[in-house]
Amino acid sequence: MNTKPESQSLAAWVEETREGIDSGRFPARAFNDQAVYDLEQERLFSKTWCFLAHESEIPHPGDYVTRYIGNNNLIVARDEHGEIYANLNMCRHRGNVMCKAEMGNASHFRCSYHGWTYKNSGELVGVPYMKEGYEGRLKRKDWGLVRVRVDSYEGLVFGCLDPEAPPLDEYLGGFQFYLDLYLKHGLGGVEVHGPPDHWIADTDWKICTENFAGDGYHTPVAHQWGFHLGYFPSSGSTHSQGWAVSIPGKGHGIGLGHGPNFPPFGGFPDDLVAEMKQSLSPEQVEVFSRTRTAVGSVFPNLSFLMQPFSLEPGEIGVRFVTMRLYHPVGPGRMEMYSWCLVPKNASQEYKKEAYRAYTLAFGQAGTFEQDDFENWTKVTQAAGMTMVRDVDFPYIMGMDSAPDPEFPGPGHAVVPYVNDTNFRNLWSRWADYLAGEA
Amino acid sequence: MDEISKQPTIERPPVGDVSQYPEQSAEEPIVIANEFADVVIRKVETRNGMRLDIWSPRRGSRILLDAVALDCLTFQEPELISELLERRPAP
Repeated sequence: MNTKPESQSLAAWVEETREGIDSGRFPARAFNDQAVYDLEQERLFSKTWCFLAHESEIPHPGDYVTRYIGNNNLIVARDEHGEIYANLNMCRHRGNVMCKAEMGNASHFRCSYHGWTYKNSGELVGVPYMKEGYEGRLKRKDWGLVRVRVDSYEGLVFGCLDPEAPPLDEYLGGFQFYLDLYLKHGLGGVEVHGPPDHWIADTDWKICTENFAGDGYHTPVAHQWGFHLGYFPSSGSTHSQGWAVSIPGKGHGIGLGHGPNFPPFGGFPDDLVAEMKQSLSPEQVEVFSRTRTAVGSVFPNLSFLMQPFSLEPGEIGVRFVTMRLYHPVGPGRMEMYSWCLVPKNASQEYKKEAYRAYTLAFGQAGTFEQDDFENWTKVTQAAGMTMVRDVDFPYIMGMDSAPDPEFPGPGHAVVPYVNDTNFRNLWSRWADYLAGEA
Repeated sequence: MDEISKQPTIERPPVGDVSQYPEQSAEEPIVIANEFADVVIRKVETRNGMRLDIWSPRRGSRILLDAVALDCLTFQEPELISELLERRPAP
C-alpha cells in the first residue's frame, strides 16, 4: 500500500489518468492505494447505483438481508405489505447496529442497546420510557432509520446514496438488453440458489470488475487446465472469437464469447430453451444463440457470468449463471459475494446440476475462482509496490476497431472478443466519478 | 396516535415466569425465533377445549389464546403489532 499523497497531487493524478485512458494507458497505482480508495468512497460509491440483493433473497414479508454500499451497511427488507426498503443498519438513538444477523425475518427490528423498535420498513414505533424520559419532546416520525433510495430491474434490487442521481433505467443505459441474457431464463425469470458464498480477499475490487467486463484473454491461460482436460468447451485456437460490447459513457461492458461448434442454447434443457425464445426478443435470441460464454459487469461492482461447465470431459456440459458483487473493504482488499442464479421454472434436477457446475468452477472453492484470485491477489500486491507508483498498463487492444454494423444489440460492439474496448470505457467512467464529473 | 396517553396496563402478567410442560407430551413445542426475540409455542388441552400457549422464556411472560382470539388476529393489519410495540419494552 502506498502512502497518502497530497490532495492537490491526487487531483492532478486523476486528470493524468483520464488523459492516459484515451491513449490506452491505465496506472497500476489505482489497484492498491489508500488515497484512491478514499476518493472512491467519497465520489464513486456515494453516487452510483449499487447492487443490494436479488428479490428472491427476500421473497416474503419480513425477510431481510444486510448488504453494503461503499462502507455503509444497509438492511434490505421486504415490509409487511410486500414493499422493499433499504435503510442504514444503525439505530437512530445511539448508533448501535440494528440487525447483527446477515439474513433473517422480522416484522420489527429492536435495538439491543436501549430497545428502540422500528417497523421493518424503517419507521420508529417503540421508544422505552417515552413518556417518563422524553416528556413529549421526541416525535417518532423524525427518528426513523436513515432511508436509502432503491429501484429494481428484473429482480435485481439496487440502492443509491445520491438523491440527485438519475434513475436506475437511465443509469443502466441499455445494458438491460444484456442483463436479460442472465435473468430471463424462462418465463418465470431466475432465482438465487441459496445464500451467497462470501469471503475476504486481498484483491482490489476493480480487478474483478474489469475481468468480468469481458476478459476472454485470460481464460485459455489462467484456466488452461479446463481447456486441456475438456471441462470447459472451448479451444485455445478459437477462443478469441466473439463480441465485446460496452455502453459508452456508462461503464458497463460484456464479453460474448463464441464457440464455432457450440450449439445454440447448448447446456440448457429443451423446455427451458422454448421458454427463453419467448422471454427474449428476437435480437436477444440472435445474440444468445451464438454465445457460449457471456461475462459482463454493471458499473461499478456487480458482475455476471454464464458459461457451460462439464463434469464429463469432452461433453457440452451444463450452463450455469453466477452473479458476483465486489465489496471494497480497504485499499487492495475486498469482500466477494458470489451467487448462483437458476431459472425459476426449471426442474429441481437441472437446478441442482447447474449449482453443481457453478460450485465446481466458482464460489470460494471453485476451480476457476481459485485460478483467478491467485492472479488477482498478486496483481494487487504488485500495485502496492513503491516502484510501481508511476507504472502504467497497456489498454490498447481494439483502439482502432470500428463497431460491428451487423450487431443487433445496443451499445458499442466490436470483434474480436479479446479486446480492451470495454475496459477503456470502464476506466473512463471510473475516472469521471473520481474527478467529480459524473 | 397520542404519544402521552399510552399506559402500561400491568407490571407483570399473572401467569407465566415458569411454564410447566407435560413430561409425557408427544408433541414437541415449536420455537419461533429471530435475532430480536424468541418464543415457545404449544397447544394446550383444557378440560373442555384447547388454547395456544405462547411463552417468552427471556421475559417469563405468557399468553393463552383461544380460537376466537386467534381468529381475530388473522384479520388484523400489521400496524396493530406496531402499536402494541409502542408500549414499554418489558412487562
